[in-house]
Order: sequence, then C-alpha cells, then structure tokens
Amino acid sequence: MNIYKAQYDLDLSKFQDSEESLETKYGLPAQVKFCKKCVISNQRPNSSVEYKHTKDSTKQTINFDEEGVCDACRLAEKKKKTIDWTLREKELKELCDKHRKNDGSYDCVVPGSGGKDSFYAAHMLKYKYGMHPLTVTWAPHIYTTWGWHNFQAWIGAGFDNFLCTPNAKTHRLLTRLAVENLFHPFQAFMFGQKALAPKMALLHNIPLVFFGENEAEYGNPISDTETAKRDWKYFTSEDRTQIYLGGVSLDSLEKDFGVDSVEFAPYMPANPEDIQKKKVEVHYLGYYLKWHPQECYYYAVEHGGFQASPERTPGTYSKYNSIDDRIDDFHYYTTHIKFGIGRATYDAAQEIRNEEITREEGVALVKKFDGEFPERFADEIFRYLSITEKEFPIAHRMFEQPIMDRDYFMALADQFRSPHLWKRENDTWKLRHTVYE
Amino acid sequence: MRNVRLIARLDVKGPNLVKGVQLEGLRKIGDPNLFAKKYYDQGIDEIIYIDIVASLYERNSLLDIVRRTTQDVFVPLTVGGGIRSVDNVRDMLRAGADKVAINTAALKRPQLISEISTKFGSQCMVLSIEAKRVGSNKWEAYYDNGREKTGVDAVEWARKGFELGAGEILITSVDQEGTAKGFDIELIKAVSGAVPIPVIASGGMGSTSDLVEAMNTGKADAVAMAHVLHYGKMTVMDVRSEAAASNINVRRYHVCPE
Repeated sequence: MNIYKAQYDLDLSKFQDSEESLETKYGLPAQVKFCKKCVISNQRPNSSVEYKHTKDSTKQTINFDEEGVCDACRLAEKKKKTIDWTLREKELKELCDKHRKNDGSYDCVVPGSGGKDSFYAAHMLKYKYGMHPLTVTWAPHIYTTWGWHNFQAWIGAGFDNFLCTPNAKTHRLLTRLAVENLFHPFQAFMFGQKALAPKMALLHNIPLVFFGENEAEYGNPISDTETAKRDWKYFTSEDRTQIYLGGVSLDSLEKDFGVDSVEFAPYMPANPEDIQKKKVEVHYLGYYLKWHPQECYYYAVEHGGFQASPERTPGTYSKYNSIDDRIDDFHYYTTHIKFGIGRATYDAAQEIRNEEITREEGVALVKKFDGEFPERFADEIFRYLSITEKEFPIAHRMFEQPIMDRDYFMALADQFRSPHLWKRENDTWKLRHTVYE
Repeated sequence: MRNVRLIARLDVKGPNLVKGVQLEGLRKIGDPNLFAKKYYDQGIDEIIYIDIVASLYERNSLLDIVRRTTQDVFVPLTVGGGIRSVDNVRDMLRAGADKVAINTAALKRPQLISEISTKFGSQCMVLSIEAKRVGSNKWEAYYDNGREKTGVDAVEWARKGFELGAGEILITSVDQEGTAKGFDIELIKAVSGAVPIPVIASGGMGSTSDLVEAMNTGKADAVAMAHVLHYGKMTVMDVRSEAAASNINVRRYHVCPE
C-alpha cells in the first residue's frame, strides 16, 4: 500500500474552456441538467452502500423523466395526489397491532439523533400508536451544543435511549481516510446511522425497526417507495472481505494502520442470517405517514422543546435540519466540490417540493449560499482529521502529511473536482453550470 | 397609567402571510390583506407588516400589499423588511405606511436611523431588533430573520438606536418567537429600562397573562401578537377585554357587529 502524499499535482488544463468533451468523475452524467420543478441537478448521487464505497466506485444518480422533472418531485406529487394516506395509516396500525407488546418489553427500535424527524417518529409511535419504542442513537462526530440539547430533550419527552459512541481515535482515522480517499467526511457516521438500529434490534430481540422518511424523498429511485421495508443491503453484509471503511479494506486497516479488529465492531454491518433468523423487519415510517419536515419541526418544538440552531448553517439558509454534528458543514461542502450540489440546493429542493418556497426563491437561495466555506468549526475539524504521531503511532506513518490544515484540505478538494463541473478562471474556481445562470 | 397598544404583527413572504417558530420553518397562513382587515375589524390598534425575506433576497416587495391594505385598514401601519435608504422610506410612506421598521440596514449602517428621523421625524423610525439570548441577561442582535449573528449587544444597540433618532423599538425575542410560551420578560425589561422611547414587545405571546407580564414587569408600551391571532386562538376582542379586566389600560373599543 502506498502512503498518502503530502502534495498532489493538479492538471489545470483539464479545467479550461474546451470544445472537447470534458472528463467526468464518479460516473456522473456528462451533461448537467437541473430539474424543471426544484433546483436539484442530475448529478445528485443516489444512496450507495457505504461498505462497498472505494476510490473507484461509480455513482447511480437521480432520475429525470422526459419532461425534465426529478424523481423526488414526482414522488412529492404522488404523496399529495395518489397515495391513500388513510389506507397507509391503517397498514401502520395493523403492523403496530401485530408487534405491540404489553409485557414490559420494548416492541420497536427507533434510531435517531433527537432531531426533528426522529423526535416526531418516536413520539408518534409511542403517544399516538401505543408502541413502546427503544430509541438508539449513533453519536455525531462532534456534538454541537444545540444538538446535545435536542438529544436530551428527546429523552426528556419520555424515551429510553442507548447512545453508541464509537471510539474517537478509530472514528477520526476512518474519517480522515474517507476524506483522503472519497472526500466524504460524513461516511463514518453513515455506517452507524444505517447499521446500528438493526444490530440493536438483534441484541435486544426487538424484531421491528422504524426509520423515518425514505431516502427516495430526496431522489433515490421512486420504486424504492413501493415497499415500507428498507433494503437489507444498507445494513447487512455476508462477506467480510467485501467490506471497506473509509475506502480501505479491513485487512489493510489492520495491517497498515494498526487498527485492532475489535475496533471495527461498531461499524460492522449486521449478519443477514441473524436478521433472517430473528425476523427483524426494518420499516420506513414515512411509507405510512405523510412526511413533512417542516411539520416535524413544529411538532418537535411543541412536544419536546426542540430548539433550532442559534445561527444559520453555513452553506445554506436553514436552522432546523441536520444541526447536531459539527462535521456536517463539511459534508455538504464536499458534495458541492464533488457534485456541484451544496446544502442550500438540498434544502431548497426539499422546500420547493413541499411548497414552502417557490422555485424562484430556491434559485436565489442557492445563488446566495451554496458552496460557502464552513468557517465556524473549521479549525476544530482540521484538528479532528489530524493523525498525530503521538495518538496514532502506526497510522501516522501512512501519511506524508499527517496534520490536516486548510491548505492541504483545499488541495485535496481540487483532486475531487470533476472537470465537467468546474472551470478555473482568474485563479478561482467556478461551476460551469448553475441553476441561477 | 400608560396607554397600552395592541398590535398585530404580520410577517409576509411573497404573496403570503407566514408564521415561523423561532423565526424558522415558515408556514403559509394566507392572504395578508384579509388578515389585516380582520384584525382591523376586530379593533386592533396598529398593524406591523414585515417582509421577512426581503433582506435575504435583497428585494423589497411589500409596496403592493401596503397599498391594498391602506384601502380598508385605517389604523397606523408600520412596514419593515428590506428598507435600505431614505428613498425606500419615502416610497413606503407614499404607499400608505405610517412608520417604517428597520433592522438589517440599520445594523449595517447605523447612520440610516438619523437620516430617516431627520427627514421624516423620529415618530416614523422604528428600530426593529431581533435578539437572541446568549447568557444571563445578555442578548445578541441578529438580522436576516434570526439567521445571522452580529456580535452586537441587543440592549446597547437599542440605546444607540435611540441616540441616533429612533422613535420606537420593536424588540423580538428569537428564542420565544412562535412558541406561544410567553415573552422574554427580562429582555423587554432590559430594553425598556435602557431607552425612554416606546418599546413594543414581540415574540412569544400565548395568553393575556403574557401581555400583563410584559406590561407590568417588562414595562413595554405595546405588544405585537402573531401566533395567537393567526391561528385563531384568541381574537383581538378577547385580548382587549381580558387585558382590561387585568387593569391594563387598553383603548376601550366597541366593535359593531356586522
């Protein structure tokens, strides 16, 4: 295995204006298009199985129909017009009746952070549908103070909770590797976000798990919403040799980076045989209840003292969604680099679909906020991503520059810019295509 | 005994009356003109319109709504949102507004407060402050509808605004806004103690007892209401009669049934 270089060469000629076809990364569509109804572009990758994510992975991307409208907008229309929500709620009640326990044990697992969506899910299941949820939380990389407050407010609203916090050294190393290999600082969080709840269900013999809204609400294939159940591939795996964390195989992590195999445990997917044997079912509550993020926010404020964050999240205009992890700002910063899609685009697209804002407003918000560098926690995040000799006596040798700083981070960012999205003009980076020009 | 004014606050976005919680998650409520007319018919003392995204989008789109409103609403009208210059103020006043409320533009260029009050009189210059609690008896002024921090102490800013010529302070608690859990009384008290001009308490009104506390403990001169009125939890008549019953000196007003 080669060590990670301190400096990367960048061939700027790829980023000039050119008549010839431009290189595309990650298998993204060569021609950039924007949805006619919202502001999402056709570059938005679908959820992928993070265990299989390596440097060479290619992306499936959001589907646009012949009228130039994205699947997420089509699903939003379907939610409003064709889905029979009374029938869906009846199905939910039947599911709850089948699983409800009144013998002093839990009957469902609700994963979440105590953000507005998981607050709503757990609270509805307990207080409206008479279930006995056990809530489980996979800790953020670094809590924001308001994220911690909201997590406590969730518990305060009447829920038992298991908080799983992975060992921070391993988490930091995996996050650094995910940045280095995939420019994906949120990956280490996503492992647990998807796998923890099914594993806790196995551990506690609770055969029903409820996630919140389906990812298809944001652009995964619309066919994913025809079932309430979550695809096993996201949280189970049969073959250890097929598992990659931070884009690195488990063998290499042990051999080259000095990670002890026990330190993989929190990240490991559930064994599909166990899931089958214990008949664990993983459902989306969003299949049964018409999900509306803004209403979840209202609900969480009213029933639990949920607090919006005290400031606008960098890169967007919102204060109420995905606010508990200090690394999250960087997550969306990297999607802007890789796919040209920053957080304001994601937020505005969702709010346009839910008719909170018009497309015109969405375009203005994207223009104003998308891709803003997240200054507020930057120094702390760079320290977090630094693999010091003292803390990582083995792993640090794998990096020519173990210390992460802004220059290094930005140089790395340039490696992940796809020439078909970015051009270099007067020493600055510009997107070739935007929704506002 | 002080006269206390009851004010309906209508936050507007595009063509819609909207309502948020902590100035976030804006929900569409309806046509602002219809709501303004309803509150006028119920005997409101004043109306405040704020275009809450004007600064965010750098536009100013309230003129039409103001013109329409002044055709059938005959109480003082304060208009805010995206007003950045003396010319903007003149346009608003010509459209029928009686006062303007300024937040973002004043924070960016405090001198604007003096320019407006010199030109049109201080009675027309309302300094709007969005204050977020940052410690015990400490608040920070925000702009862009509670989205952007300034590092400016909200109470200090109120005092400075008065010195520059503001005739009234509209003080909104970002923490309490939209929650119907009561005003931030300490904030109101701190501001009304710092300036000799009228203070309008905004953000958190859920019941008449909140109003009474804002008057008696907070020493406010007026309350701005939104949530309780927009969601139909109380009418202006309810508020007025309950306030009067609690010895608050509100205007006695008889609404003629239509």
